[in-house]
Amino acid sequence: MNKQSIQKSAASGLVFGIIVIFFALIGFTVVFSGLIQKALGQSLGVGQIPSISSFLIFLGLLGIWNGWRASRQDKHETLSVKKVLGRSAIAGLVAGVLVMVYALIVGALNNSGINLRTYLSQLSSESVRFFLFNQTIVVGGLIHVFYSTLMAVIGGFLAVASERSRERVKSTRESIQKWSQDRWLGKLQGNPYVSYVLMGVVLLLLVLLPRTWGAYWNYVMGTVGIYVLLGLGLNIIVGLSGQLVLGYVAFFAIGAYTFALTTSPEPHNLVWNFWIALGVAVLAAALSGILIGLPIMRLRGDYLAIVTLGFGEIIRILLRSDILKDFTMGPRGVRNIAGPTLFGRSFTTDVDFMYLIILAVLLSIFLARRWQESSIGRAWLAISQDETVAQATGVDTQKYKLLALSLGAAFAGLGGALFASRNQFTGPEDHALMVSINVLVLVIVGGMGSIPGVVLGAFALKGLPEILRELESYRLLVFGALLVVMMIIRPEGLWPARRPKLEVPVEQDHEPVPLPATAGGEK
Amino acid sequence: MKTVLEARQVSKIFGGLVAVNKVDLVVPEGAIASIIGPNGAGKTTLFNCISGFYTPELGDVLFNGRKIQGMLTDKVAAMGIARTYQNIRLFKNMSAVENVMVGFEPHLKHGWMKAMLKTPDYQKEQKHIINEASRLLHYVGLAGLGDNLALNLPYGAQRRLEIARALANQPKLLLLDEPTAGMNPQETDAMKDFIRHIRDDLEITIILIEHDMRVVMNISDQISVLDYGQKIAEGNPKEIQANPRVIEAYLGPGAAALSEKYRREKTHDA
Repeated sequence: MNKQSIQKSAASGLVFGIIVIFFALIGFTVVFSGLIQKALGQSLGVGQIPSISSFLIFLGLLGIWNGWRASRQDKHETLSVKKVLGRSAIAGLVAGVLVMVYALIVGALNNSGINLRTYLSQLSSESVRFFLFNQTIVVGGLIHVFYSTLMAVIGGFLAVASERSRERVKSTRESIQKWSQDRWLGKLQGNPYVSYVLMGVVLLLLVLLPRTWGAYWNYVMGTVGIYVLLGLGLNIIVGLSGQLVLGYVAFFAIGAYTFALTTSPEPHNLVWNFWIALGVAVLAAALSGILIGLPIMRLRGDYLAIVTLGFGEIIRILLRSDILKDFTMGPRGVRNIAGPTLFGRSFTTDVDFMYLIILAVLLSIFLARRWQESSIGRAWLAISQDETVAQATGVDTQKYKLLALSLGAAFAGLGGALFASRNQFTGPEDHALMVSINVLVLVIVGGMGSIPGVVLGAFALKGLPEILRELESYRLLVFGALLVVMMIIRPEGLWPARRPKLEVPVEQDHEPVPLPATAGGEK
Repeated sequence: MKTVLEARQVSKIFGGLVAVNKVDLVVPEGAIASIIGPNGAGKTTLFNCISGFYTPELGDVLFNGRKIQGMLTDKVAAMGIARTYQNIRLFKNMSAVENVMVGFEPHLKHGWMKAMLKTPDYQKEQKHIINEASRLLHYVGLAGLGDNLALNLPYGAQRRLEIARALANQPKLLLLDEPTAGMNPQETDAMKDFIRHIRDDLEITIILIEHDMRVVMNISDQISVLDYGQKIAEGNPKEIQANPRVIEAYLGPGAAALSEKYRREKTHDA
């Protein structure tokens, strides 16, 4: 083993040791062990310390990962058992010793009667003893060293095994693919009815699910749906036309307040029909998009971002200020906002709202796709990639940028109106900066300019935190970590946009071919 | 012959630098006019004044007799002036055929409402521009590469794609900024013939900035030479080759004297 290889192994061990210590410090070891215990089907009461065996599984997984990572230092080398043994053992040992040192310190402090919780709220006496496997300090520390090394070596062997079997796995996968392509998948792909059937299944799910999964999930998924609407709109503005607008929440607020003020008995006593108010809210948002767009047409990039950021805040501050108190109720917000009615009947249960949001989302996806795939979508993309050249190529950039702003704002207006109607309330704090940031993040995470990306991004951003509720106070940590990891491994987004295939073959006969059809030149 | 483009005393000033100094240029219809000159002579700046990127501080730019200085570039493009760029500027993350389709933008009639409703006349127009864009790709020798992203095309193909996009504007005047930069001799020859074809097949007047003298001398009807922002010579290729001021601008004052001496010796020998 050369020096470099030893260094890399030790570095890997160091990283994993620090990760384990960090997890222990924030109490994540206890929570995740509890999750493993629950996943294995054993019950665990609230506030109860999970079993040692689930903690061992958690540590073991980390250890195996450590060994795996340390063994695979170079993509192009073939691994030998000897190499791997050395590397993984070093990595495991380094991690283990580091953790042991931590365990000794914390254990000794705990034994001497110092209450660590005054400094780190998660380090209760039980959790420290749990970390030492309920043994004495020295024995617990040594178990950490031994176990970490053992698991790292196992990880190393797994790495060798996976490499040895890679060829076989690949050929098996290819033969399965070929078989399925020949037998049924190929036929299915060519069959137009398959997509209809798939669409039917999705529609059926959309009809049945809101009825079956209860009010809580209707609320969560309704929020996801509203964020899909917002994402579709911002996707037009940022993803397609390339204008970095950070005050998108302003349009959401304008939609919500227009709807609220026209349907609530207070403060104006305009109790309009739901559908008319909805239309007016969408129109008002679209119009505000144009009005805001006009002065900022000449701004690009950072400047546009800063100005729109300010604009979003101005709207929120105006809404809660005293100047407009008689008009918008100030910080109290508007209450008793109307729900949807149809032929005189009102539809205000959670299921009805879910259906309404699903309909709005489907309609919006349909419209957004139409625009995106038309010449308008192409002009937007051209502007986002090189505005100067797009204009010199004949694209009326002002017109298209305003169009993007106002169409994008219209989606936000729709989302805002539905949001206000569902909550029967809207106040200035519903329209804080975080909404803009969230929507921007979901567009980026999903994949700029991609409609399926927006839907996935909304689920990841608004649905995932609900699913992660199990992790209690760690859910934002895990969520942040997931976002970071995702942006590292898939920087182009979950579902990146692809360009359509459009070129049609040209008949060769009566066409002049002045330039020889070689690609030519160096790349 | 009818004049397509006329520049009258055009000047462009950046701070204290006079990039283009009182340049006159008259380009007759159907001509291939070249602008040459050493690096930094103001050739591209003059192009930018013509295509609307810059508004000249002094002087007029007339296109078919109409003043166009100060107009937005999209209006200039719609009037019939298209251009390519010295450093290739494509819409990189769009496919090649989409790049060309954007070029049809000034001639599209149907807006966002019709795109939303997908009316029959909108669909017809879309189908038409897809066909036309594919034909243009074929015309510049990129048939079959249309669905690749522009950034994935090789260098030579990117240059051709830029020309195809400019042609999609259906221009009357085409400004080519160093179309053979970075090409090998074979490609340069092909490009030279192609430029002539564009003029002959499509009846487009062409203004060319070019450093490759074989290309310039071979295809130009008229050559203007810029140096330090001023036009120092104008004429057909023969006249320019013999012009001592041009030689001086390119090779320095000593070279002009040397060449004069050489020529005298040559005539003396004969």
